[in-house]
Amino acid sequence: MRTVLIAAIVGLLVVSACLAGCTQTQASAGGLKLGVVASMTGPASTTGKDVWQSAQLAADEINARGGVFVKSLGKNVTIQLVQGDDESTREGGIKAVTKMITDDKVDVLTGGFSSAVVTAHESIVADHGVPYIITGASSSTVTRRTDINTSTMFHHAPITDASASQTTIFVDEVMRPAINAKFGRPADTPLRMAVIYQDSPFGKGALDAIQSTIAAKGLKIQVVANETFKMGETDYRTTLTSVKAKGPDVVYPIAFLNEEVPMLTQARRDVGLNTIFLAVECVDDPDYYKGLGQYGDYSIIESRFSAYAVPKGSISPNVGKYQKDYAARFNASPGMMGAATYEGVYIAAAALEKAGTTDQAALLSAIGSVQVPEMVESMKNSTISFGNQYHESQFNLFMEQLHWDPATQTLRPKIVWPAALKETEFQIPDWYRPGSV
Amino acid sequence: MAIDVGTLLQILFWGLYAGCIYILLATGVNLIFGVMKTVNFAHGELLMIGAYVTWTLFSLTGLNPYLLLVATVPVLLLFGIAVQRLAFRPVLGSHKLNEIFLSIGLIYLFQNGAAMIWGSDYQSIQSPFASMAVTIGSFRLPLDYVIIIAVTIGILVGLQLLLRRTRLGLALRATSQNRKAAMLSGINVERMDMIAFGLGAALAGAAGTLWVVSGQVFDPYMGSVPAVKAFAIVILGGLGSIPGAIIGGLFYGVAESAATYTLGGAWKDAISFIVLIVVLVIRPTGLFGERGE
Repeated sequence: MRTVLIAAIVGLLVVSACLAGCTQTQASAGGLKLGVVASMTGPASTTGKDVWQSAQLAADEINARGGVFVKSLGKNVTIQLVQGDDESTREGGIKAVTKMITDDKVDVLTGGFSSAVVTAHESIVADHGVPYIITGASSSTVTRRTDINTSTMFHHAPITDASASQTTIFVDEVMRPAINAKFGRPADTPLRMAVIYQDSPFGKGALDAIQSTIAAKGLKIQVVANETFKMGETDYRTTLTSVKAKGPDVVYPIAFLNEEVPMLTQARRDVGLNTIFLAVECVDDPDYYKGLGQYGDYSIIESRFSAYAVPKGSISPNVGKYQKDYAARFNASPGMMGAATYEGVYIAAAALEKAGTTDQAALLSAIGSVQVPEMVESMKNSTISFGNQYHESQFNLFMEQLHWDPATQTLRPKIVWPAALKETEFQIPDWYRPGSV
Repeated sequence: MAIDVGTLLQILFWGLYAGCIYILLATGVNLIFGVMKTVNFAHGELLMIGAYVTWTLFSLTGLNPYLLLVATVPVLLLFGIAVQRLAFRPVLGSHKLNEIFLSIGLIYLFQNGAAMIWGSDYQSIQSPFASMAVTIGSFRLPLDYVIIIAVTIGILVGLQLLLRRTRLGLALRATSQNRKAAMLSGINVERMDMIAFGLGAALAGAAGTLWVVSGQVFDPYMGSVPAVKAFAIVILGGLGSIPGAIIGGLFYGVAESAATYTLGGAWKDAISFIVLIVVLVIRPTGLFGERGE
């Protein structure tokens, strides 16, 4: 009996261990082998699932159209996806990427979410010279670091500096005048901003970007508090109590989705911090709206792709189709990281066609020079390209304000900035209390 | 730096709330260690399972989540008994490394099992009292946290009554003090092991319910950090000492809150271990521990 029980427990342990860290291959052999680094297990698994499903959607669309024509072969080939689960950890990422490169022999990699995880496995990618279209990881270090050869890395996600800078400019251009006007303050009254940032390169990079943007552009924003928190923190009550005591007009958390949801909820519900919260672009995910509920009313989020808002312009039909196709296939709404990975697969396909061969050196050169028309995210010059010094694509970011609909019990965004993309005006709620001056 | 009294009291209050969760976890760890002399490293995962059981019952019934404590605690009690019977008893008394690696293995088993059953997305629910608060001057007491503190006190009083006023409690204490003597006096120590593990799991389950009703988010991987803190509290308070776990838990909660306010959130976890090191240097057995434990 005892032997059977121990054998059963060992068996269950083996099965559970195998659930994490395995790679999965989709589609038939042949064609371009595209490794997708996705956090299928661990704390970032919500995003990981979105990343993988979006890649599947893109690959299936391309394959359904007959694949990609490769000149040297004189025929069309399919995109074959290989899933690598980074387990939301540095070690898991190294394991998954090593397996995809050495065992699965992938031609190109895409995906990658957390900056910490991506920077850990980048050295493996660099050692093998595999092209890597990174569709997450907002830290600029992923392509700007100098300790490894980053010439095979291509960053298709806005870097922290750009996104924090854009939000800070929005606060100065839109929020400060509106708040000063509503509360009868002189127009040049500085806005009191509290920053609550993750104690990581991501958080510190954003704080630096906020402060340097304020200084460089002479913005009338006063940072009255900058508080840190550990990655993955769930209890922000003391931090928020401290922030409340500083009397901010606006609170800018530099936090992931699973951090911002409890932070904002605790601020409004427990601490009574009745101010407007901002959010970084990487949290624009259906789970964010679901998790916040009514506590997200009137909060602001920076974005480049939203499941529930379609920016005006040439990408509108593409966004609508993508949202519809994704929902039909996976019975869920797509997230931002998935959207970038969806494009990542198309970038790889375009590079393959341009290279005309699956030779890795040719693919690398082709990704560096390929020009892909913008798809579901608004891009500078309406084109996805990695032409700059650091292989970074350039996004048009926009700001959304969230509104709670009591009738449908849903929280949904409306684009409020910039003027070219906006759907409605920024609003200040009746419950809002400005900071003390 | 001038600190408003209301702000100070508010921070102390958040510390007390955090302390409640730690106390329930640490008391469970101590109960199991006291009787079985086994450290269950998967104890945080029992908190996580408690949170998911409450969430599942809430989703199915829509009942007030506080009432679901009455259902979650027995479920975790039975689950704990099953885990002890199926996993720990076969290796009990063998090399200590077997017990350690078994409980580490259980962490992965429970995490992946929970992800398979409930999915790995984070979840949260809203308490029906979420918008209610008691305000005293600038001091704001959300009703949920007042209830959580009261429920924790109630559970601890109930546990003390069980341990001090019942034959079962006497048997548990006897097993904890001297296993061989307890066996010789006719106590079924293997049954006591199961009950102690079940009670420890039930306390973790109660902590899981309180975690959920406070609006905290949870996912299959949320148990590790609270568990590490519970172990630190147990060492701080003294291995096997339930009063030590209570005092240690409260102290940790308040120390973390104070550190977050004064030094920043990055110091929250560090301060707990700094306190632990200082206490162990001065008193190696912990605050309430006895030599030889």
